[in-house]
Amino acid sequence: MWLDMRSLLAPLVLCAAPSLEAQLSFRIDGHPVQVHGFASQGFAYSGQNNYLTMNSSHGSFALTDVGVNASFQLTDRFHVGAQVYTRNIGHLGDWHPQLDWAVADYRFTDWFGIRGGVVKTVFGLEGDTQDMEFIHTSALLPQSVYPTDLRDALLRHRGGDLYGEIPLKHLGSLSYTGYAGQREDSRYGGYPYLLLTNGGHIASYGGLQVGADLRWNTPLQGLLVGASRMSADVTGTGTWTIPTDPPATIPYEEHSKRDWTHQFYGQYTAGNLRLASEYRRYWRDQAIFSDSFEVGTDVRGWYASASYRFTKHLELGAYYSRWMVTPTDAFHVMPSSQDAPDRHLYDKVITARFDLNHHWNVKVEGHFMDGNGGVWSYPSGFYPQDNPQGLQPKTNLLLIRTGWSF
Amino acid sequence: MAARAADVKIIANASVKAAAVSVEEIRGVFLATKSSLSDGTHVEPVLLKGGAAHEAFVKQYLGKTDAGLENYYRSLVFTGRGLMPTTLASDQVVIEYVAKTRGAVGYVSAVMNTPGVKTLEIK
Repeated sequence: MWLDMRSLLAPLVLCAAPSLEAQLSFRIDGHPVQVHGFASQGFAYSGQNNYLTMNSSHGSFALTDVGVNASFQLTDRFHVGAQVYTRNIGHLGDWHPQLDWAVADYRFTDWFGIRGGVVKTVFGLEGDTQDMEFIHTSALLPQSVYPTDLRDALLRHRGGDLYGEIPLKHLGSLSYTGYAGQREDSRYGGYPYLLLTNGGHIASYGGLQVGADLRWNTPLQGLLVGASRMSADVTGTGTWTIPTDPPATIPYEEHSKRDWTHQFYGQYTAGNLRLASEYRRYWRDQAIFSDSFEVGTDVRGWYASASYRFTKHLELGAYYSRWMVTPTDAFHVMPSSQDAPDRHLYDKVITARFDLNHHWNVKVEGHFMDGNGGVWSYPSGFYPQDNPQGLQPKTNLLLIRTGWSF
Repeated sequence: MAARAADVKIIANASVKAAAVSVEEIRGVFLATKSSLSDGTHVEPVLLKGGAAHEAFVKQYLGKTDAGLENYYRSLVFTGRGLMPTTLASDQVVIEYVAKTRGAVGYVSAVMNTPGVKTLEIK
């Protein structure tokens, strides 16, 4: 069982919680300033395949993330803020800190505002909140729609948003966000890690993203429905090592021919009950090796979830998540049936969340996965270099995760 | 025993021009989607930390639970979309804060005397 001493960071921070709380809100020249943060530490144990780059089949504590932010209300309509985030999940993140967001936000009216800088992308129910385990019932969001190893893809952009909420009188209200900006993925994400399998070393990966989100707060109290759409033009550069004797390293470049994602979602809350469901489709045609070849992937995922808070201290939840991949290029000899384990990943999940106090929670979660998604040109969460013995068709996973926020 | 919605009253600083507000306006103000009332007054929401009046207000006016509201505010704070609203420990402290803070809107138990603030009618 592997234990990185840095993984002890989160529990140590947890112990400091009471003493920190009083220092987090103050004023500068009469303007409020707030400092907030979070940390989480997990343990993963899987009976079969190693998951999400962790050595989970032997039990892994390599599931840690930390974020700290500060926000400053300059006027009634204008605020600025920034957050730094770092994570270490198996080989993902590798503790490299990121400027998670750094925003200047001006709201002209309730129905029109602008924000710019490094902005969290509004996409689906949880696109912008996917790192915040402390607001979720589950320890791990449904990976069919919010893949932890591909976190960067729909998380933030360097650019700007137009946003607002339009009242519809007796028909509820419409919230909209339109955005454009540059996406810049971490070199320590799932896609670069997948390319390593075949000798690819990605130095940079990113490009333009343009999209919008529209959500309707319906007149039925607690019911929200919405849709998101994004188009991207992504370029990756680096080197590729060819296993000749001696090995040869050549420059590598890939870029989008077509890259879009859309998502449809709904959520219903009534008292302590929350129901949610989302569907995402991701289409990717990528020219690789400087336009020499083209690879394509059609990924479809959806989930349905339910959770209920029984007491102030206990919440139970469950979800069913389905992820299906179809390579659309001529390279991959694909099993014809979606039933083949390397064409899908179906996950049944149950969670018990214990809130020890307002700031600290502990979750115990079971995953029962059917399929492994295979090894195509886009990650499924299972990587060949972590599973050199080959992928098994089913995986059971126990997750224990504790999180703290202030 | 949990308070009923009728046991909660909405109070505002004297600078707030409106005498009455709709439930939708209150919801917008306390969910940070509205920063002003229909009369144009800029407003600042003030919350109670807990208790029966708080639970009644959150359920009746915002359609949420206390935990749900907390998660909602956290989702704003941790995405850079806003700051946590002012949250105070008791009815008396809320009344005092609203009385001295321009644009402040809060809620307290209906049985409280509320000197120095105006009580808003619900349309």
